[in-house]
Amino acid sequence: MSDDISEHPDRPQRGQVLFAALFLICATMLIAALGSQTKWLDGKDFFAQPRFWPAIGVGGMVLFTALHFWHLPRKPRRLPRWMREADWLQWAESLFWGALALALSLWLGPIKAAPYVFLVATIRVTWLYQHWTDRREAKVWASVVEWAGWFLAYVLLVPIIGYLPVTVAFTLLLTWRVGYRDRIMMISAVLFAIAVVLVFKSFLQVKIPGSALYEYLPGALRSFFILNF
Amino acid sequence: MDLIFDFLAQVQASSNYLARWDVVLALLVGSVGGVIIGAIPGVGPAVAIAILLPATFSMDPIVGLTVLLGIYGSSMYGGSIPAILINTPGTAVNALTTYDGFPMTTRGEARRALSLAYSSSFFGGVFSVMCLIFFAPVLAKVAPMFGSREIFLAALLGIILVVTAHRKHTLIAAAMACFGIWLNTIGLHSASYSKRYTFDQSWLSGGVNLIVVVLGLFALSQAFTLLHGDDEKVRLTKLKGSFFQGFRELARHPRIAGVSGGFGVIMGMIPGVGEFTAQFMSYTYAQKSSKRPEDFGHGSSEGLIAAETANNAVPAAAMVPLLALGIPGEALTAMMLSVFYVHNVIPGPQLFQNEMDFVVALYLALLILNVLVVIFLLVATNQLIKVVKIPNRFLGVCILILSFVGVYSLRNSFTDCILAAGFGIFGFIMKRMQLPVVPIVLGMVLGGIMEVKLRSAMARVKTPLDFIDRPIAAILFTMIILVLILHFRRVWLDHTERKTDEWQTSHASTSFAAILSRRRTFILTERGKKVRGKRKTFSRRLTDRR
Repeated sequence: MSDDISEHPDRPQRGQVLFAALFLICATMLIAALGSQTKWLDGKDFFAQPRFWPAIGVGGMVLFTALHFWHLPRKPRRLPRWMREADWLQWAESLFWGALALALSLWLGPIKAAPYVFLVATIRVTWLYQHWTDRREAKVWASVVEWAGWFLAYVLLVPIIGYLPVTVAFTLLLTWRVGYRDRIMMISAVLFAIAVVLVFKSFLQVKIPGSALYEYLPGALRSFFILNF
Repeated sequence: MDLIFDFLAQVQASSNYLARWDVVLALLVGSVGGVIIGAIPGVGPAVAIAILLPATFSMDPIVGLTVLLGIYGSSMYGGSIPAILINTPGTAVNALTTYDGFPMTTRGEARRALSLAYSSSFFGGVFSVMCLIFFAPVLAKVAPMFGSREIFLAALLGIILVVTAHRKHTLIAAAMACFGIWLNTIGLHSASYSKRYTFDQSWLSGGVNLIVVVLGLFALSQAFTLLHGDDEKVRLTKLKGSFFQGFRELARHPRIAGVSGGFGVIMGMIPGVGEFTAQFMSYTYAQKSSKRPEDFGHGSSEGLIAAETANNAVPAAAMVPLLALGIPGEALTAMMLSVFYVHNVIPGPQLFQNEMDFVVALYLALLILNVLVVIFLLVATNQLIKVVKIPNRFLGVCILILSFVGVYSLRNSFTDCILAAGFGIFGFIMKRMQLPVVPIVLGMVLGGIMEVKLRSAMARVKTPLDFIDRPIAAILFTMIILVLILHFRRVWLDHTERKTDEWQTSHASTSFAAILSRRRTFILTERGKKVRGKRKTFSRRLTDRR
């Protein structure tokens, strides 16, 4: 794998086009919402307007991502032969996009319609330049959601069951999940979990709420657990 | 003479800050922890600082900052160990160390390389702290000249430099910086009490917290990357003997060490430039001025000295724009800025003027830290290198568990965790694409600073030229223009170079049919020329007439 995306000018590196396109689409939707999500206050200085900095932010996102997309090494999708040779299809498509742009600008007014027209154009261009490696790459991106899910489940369970038990259980389960089966890894996972709880909760007294389950512990043990674990 | 007495009095006053058991403990934890974190490939100082940040909020500013500074300053010492021994940089800035460090290991000089790396890192660290302690009075005089517009321009310069520093990824870096600026504007606009991009969601009206973004982009994304990847087999060589020889060897190259340290200090002070540029410049200088430039990249001791001295000189210098102007120049100092804000200590010209003791105390802490780290490394390297063997996926599990402490302890909020997980996935994608994430963080921090400063600066500006009528503002503005011109010149040169390469590498086909076809075209053109020449009536060649 090279560090430089432009090293193979005729072979797009996996996912680059897809990432740029997705980011551009999101940025365009944000710019379309600029009018409704920020205010322009009369009588206020131009640079002190609440809309000024968000506009610079989303405007820059759209502009620079579009330029980045434009500069990416990309290769148009190879269409089936009949599509390539059908003149009428290209005419029809151009007319369709033109009509859509016109309809949108008549409906919303030209300024408000501009981001939507740009959005549609981006989607069309993305479809044209998408590569099969992009789709394979998207599957890798989606696979990470599993780890994010583990993290969120951990976050949800801590206030219910308690920091110490959930941390030990999760470290063990995750160590198992990523493929370790030997005793050394399991023991180190447990030791690590206990060390984390002792350092952060017992010693540094970091703000993590005592769990609902600790309430059922008897007398002195209860407050000790809530405070320290 | 007076200057020296003043300085000694200053040191005396600042040492009161440091003579406390919790500061000493923080120094120890920061130095040892930083070295260990640096030595583990896959956990950089950014991950560690992001996780520890909320935990330091409950400490005194000096204690919290000492821990974080300790990790920042000493991680590069640790990062050189795997860079030299297994050709994997422990932290990103040790990448250049692998060029000369690993070849030395392959020829059986691992101990020499390590001790040289330690000694030059030590020199870089101490050199920069010394420079800055002596410069501090000068800085204290210059810093008050920075008003709103100067700070705005300095922040703008910082953002432009961060973007242009990502060569070949400038456009996406600029887009990410704008993304950061936009993220920072979400929530209630304090000056006009109007909502911005909250989409009527209550959890967005408080804005997006910087620490949540940082934890997602640096810690969680790193955990995802490690969990997704495979473990690497690591084979280590046993090291015998002492590590003191490096100091003797370093003493033979005072020029390279001095110049590299100087580059580190200067580049560290300019916001947005940082270690990579400093290293690149000092490495190039060392190579050009060396008697044996062909050795560079094949285990040259001078190359190792240049790289390690330059990167260790940066942390102390990077604190200058942060403390004097409140402008962080890179991701790590941007995170440290939030420690100041939590304690209501606003870094800026006032801090430098009124609380010089605090500033000098921080520098003294850095100095002591460097000594502690070197002692620790000289004694414990053989035990320390075992951390390189921690398997990657287990490391991923550990970072995931630790990230929870960072995000959740902030406000005990589940939505923060969802946001952090989202940014974690985003950071993972960016890492896979090898696109820069640092501009997002700097965009958030510098965007906030620019918004406030521009508003207050414009209140007193009537015409556009008023903005740069003060000397420092004019200098900063000229620098911005200069950086932009240099950048576009660079882009243009790269473009022409690429085009020439493309033309040079486009070969004509060598198939028989192609040769015949070219021959035919050539003959037809030649013949055409002759015929046209003959039939020309109006402009016959003069030679024909004679």
